[in-house]
Amino acid sequence: MELLIFGSLTDIIGTDKLVLENPLDTELLKASLLKKYPSLEQTNYFLALNKIMVQEKKPLQEGDVVALMPAFSGG
Amino acid sequence: MEKTPKNIFFEGPIPAQKIADDIQKHASKKDIGAHSIFLGQVREDQIGDGQVAAIDYTCYQEMALEKMHQIRESLFSKYALTCMHVHHSLGRVAVGEICLFVFVSSKHRQAAIEACTELVESIKKELPIWGKEILNNQASVWKQNQ
Repeated sequence: MELLIFGSLTDIIGTDKLVLENPLDTELLKASLLKKYPSLEQTNYFLALNKIMVQEKKPLQEGDVVALMPAFSGG
Repeated sequence: MEKTPKNIFFEGPIPAQKIADDIQKHASKKDIGAHSIFLGQVREDQIGDGQVAAIDYTCYQEMALEKMHQIRESLFSKYALTCMHVHHSLGRVAVGEICLFVFVSSKHRQAAIEACTELVESIKKELPIWGKEILNNQASVWKQNQ
């Protein structure tokens, strides 16, 4: 799966795109990111799966695109 | 097949001339009686011991365009609008330059004014766009919307 990273999260993760071995679901993805990038804990972010915002655990499949997005600040 | 959403993104600042030209283009649409225009300008905020010199905008383009398409559809069904145009900058926009141009037209003023206000709020709340404020002391801060 592909992980897109936006806004301030690019400073924490150090890139705007990662290709990951498929985690089983969005919660496992968040847990593995937190382990690798502990400062994510201090940041509120949303997760979009294939451009749809997700709040609950969703299974992940081959070819999925997940976006990590901090609060929007357009305009 | 679904229609490709209209692109709203504009590289760099939006020139004042574009705003004038866009108004002029509507002269041929003779059922319009009211335009409501909102312009966002980059403000020279004081942040710590630095001042904002510019904002660098980035976005999740595909998602932003899909979301914008939904916002557009919902406003067209709620208000009696003739047309709606949105232009948001990407990349660097300096202090004093225009980063957002929203242009809503209708037969009568109330629909244009109300839809324009609602549209600006939706753009700020719902579109995945991020601004990084570049300060005059070499520092930078991720912008937070009020």
